[in-house]
Amino acid sequence: MKRFCKLACALGAALLLNACASITPVQPWQKGLLAKPEMSFAGDAIGSGFNEHIYSSREAASGGSGANGGGCGCY
Amino acid sequence: MHSTLPRNTLLAAALSLPLLSAQAEAQPENGTLSLKYLDYQDSQPGARRVRVTAPELSLMTPVGSAWSLSASHIVDSITGASPAYHTEALVPLHDQRRATDLSVTHYSELSTATIGASYSAESDYVSRGLNLAATLSTEDKNTSWNLGVNLLHDSINPGNQVVIDEHKNVVDLSLGLTQVLSSRDLAQVLLGYSHGKGYFTDPYKIFDQRPRTRNHSTLLLRWNHHIEASGGTSRLAYRYYQDSFAIRAHTLTAEYVQPLPQGWSLTPQLRLYSQSAASFYVEHDLNSDPFPTNPPDGASFYTEEQRLAAYGARTMGITLSKRWGAWSADLRAQHYEQRNQWRWGGSGSRNLAPFRARIVQLALTRQF
Amino acid sequence: MEVFRIPFSAMASQCEVVLAAPDLASARALAGAASAEVLRIEHKYSRYRADSMVSRINAAAGAAAVVCDEETLALLQYADELYRSSDGLFDLSSGVLRRVWDFRLGRLPDPAALAECLNAIGWSRVQREADRIALPQAGMQLDFGGFGKEYAADRAADILRQQGLQHGYVNLAGDIRVLGPHPAGRPWQIGIQDPRQRDRLVASIPVTHGALTTSGDYERYFERDGQRYCHILDPRDGQPVRYWRSVTVLAPLAIVAGGVSTIAMLKQQAGLDYLEASGYSYLAIDQQGQIQHKICHA
Repeated sequence: MKRFCKLACALGAALLLNACASITPVQPWQKGLLAKPEMSFAGDAIGSGFNEHIYSSREAASGGSGANGGGCGCY
Repeated sequence: MHSTLPRNTLLAAALSLPLLSAQAEAQPENGTLSLKYLDYQDSQPGARRVRVTAPELSLMTPVGSAWSLSASHIVDSITGASPAYHTEALVPLHDQRRATDLSVTHYSELSTATIGASYSAESDYVSRGLNLAATLSTEDKNTSWNLGVNLLHDSINPGNQVVIDEHKNVVDLSLGLTQVLSSRDLAQVLLGYSHGKGYFTDPYKIFDQRPRTRNHSTLLLRWNHHIEASGGTSRLAYRYYQDSFAIRAHTLTAEYVQPLPQGWSLTPQLRLYSQSAASFYVEHDLNSDPFPTNPPDGASFYTEEQRLAAYGARTMGITLSKRWGAWSADLRAQHYEQRNQWRWGGSGSRNLAPFRARIVQLALTRQF
Repeated sequence: MEVFRIPFSAMASQCEVVLAAPDLASARALAGAASAEVLRIEHKYSRYRADSMVSRINAAAGAAAVVCDEETLALLQYADELYRSSDGLFDLSSGVLRRVWDFRLGRLPDPAALAECLNAIGWSRVQREADRIALPQAGMQLDFGGFGKEYAADRAADILRQQGLQHGYVNLAGDIRVLGPHPAGRPWQIGIQDPRQRDRLVASIPVTHGALTTSGDYERYFERDGQRYCHILDPRDGQPVRYWRSVTVLAPLAIVAGGVSTIAMLKQQAGLDYLEASGYSYLAIDQQGQIQHKICHA
């Protein structure tokens, strides 16, 4: 039941996001700022690779950002 | 939105003209070669724990007109000590981990497809992974869906031979939606589900017996916002995590990128984290000291791993970057701390020493 | 679907729209919308009309700032990028040199008049703010001739695209923006004129999308004592460029292709490195008639 609620919330958030944007769609020539590297989810050159690895080996939670890669025996 | 920086500064500038942009070439225009370095040292009061130094080399290059190739190799050198239970009885450790990742991406007008493989090996653990991912955008490129599947097969052979030739298999699925909200706002919702079967126990801990299944789900919300007045960008994220060990965790991250003259930029960041304990976590009973706390009688699962306790954590960091010509250099310094009292919405696990880490990361990148 | 060629006059030259349409009437209607957009831009940025945006800015030189609309501000921002990309050679304020060079009568400029003209050139001195522009010195002038035609080609193509056109191109006196290939799928063969023989082609380039523009020393020029003086002038000394006969570039937008080909002409000898660095396909012909070219796949 709880999992269904969470799934429903996520889907709801996604659809809301989509709906908000359909009100005034952004034209291609207005996307200059979005092309800046700091506006992307990849971020800067260091990125989140090391940090994600550190956090998933020092905390219980892991994943979420869809980033892949091998596991490790970080005991 | 996969990051597609236009080939040419003129084309980038022309994006601001009232013109429908030309069929956007999704393929990255430049290749990049990056040398990164991590220096990590964690500790608890009175004792240094694990030190990791890890140089990493990574390459990304466009191939032909619709492909790109990525490859990276990292060598982790791990030394120091790790607790045998809770935050007590530090046992020295020394290891080296080498890992390689390779991936190939194909770009089309409105979609991309990626296939990748990873291999990581250290003295007691080998991980092999296969990754498939796809993105699909709408015609106006304001909305894009992304789908990912990650398969992992790990082989575990601990040095103390508590178990021999154990395995762990994990299937990770992710589904996300990225949406352009305005000319200055980009947001993302990502759902993740992971199903793992196999050996999850930590063989180096005195009392540790975990279920042979671990499933987890995550929900990630991200929002990047460009601020006109300062020219800076705020990057906010929230992640909710829950798993079959009964752990629930919240992560809140906030960063602010401030460009400065001469190609410099400064990014302060704050990350707040809180997790509940695993259902089979055994609290540290001071009366047992100096012996490890005994797990409850008849318990099939138990752990005294600090990582699965209830606590909160905070990271404070700052990144300094400089770009010049085809080069860029980044330096990031972070201070990480875990404390039981910092747990939100509940009490933290007792009698665990506060955990700290200082993290320094460097990257030198060249575009070609 | 038939392919129609609809000519029209604009920007003091012969223009045409080539497109695939079910019949002549719809082809004419589409071409009409495209040519109307070209004329709108011509009138808005023409030096010869007192009520144009450019004339208003020029009339206020040395006096006041002029508030501009979004389209003009975007074009001025792009002009700034062209200035930086060319290390100051593409200067929107260099149009004043027209006063001392007469290409119709074939007259060399008077050195004193040329020197005075050069004082009125300097894009870096132009004061731009969020919504307005001011020319700091009386006599300074902006001239959109350097990219006006290319911008109009892109806008006309957008109009056609918005009307659903998939196959065809807009050709404004050699500055071409292609929307899509021939309905049968094959590319349009676009000829590159021989810079020294008007009725001869040096090459025929197949194009399915994107823009093809050519800058050359044969569009407006005169010859004196065996020396050719063309209309592309270096803003630093007011003299015509000499190194290339013509430069043709293929890029996603006409305003980008036009920027690159003009800057390559202005950079003269250094133009080849500039073309290489741009990453676009190009064809450049030097004064000996030698052709340098590179095809980049995109």
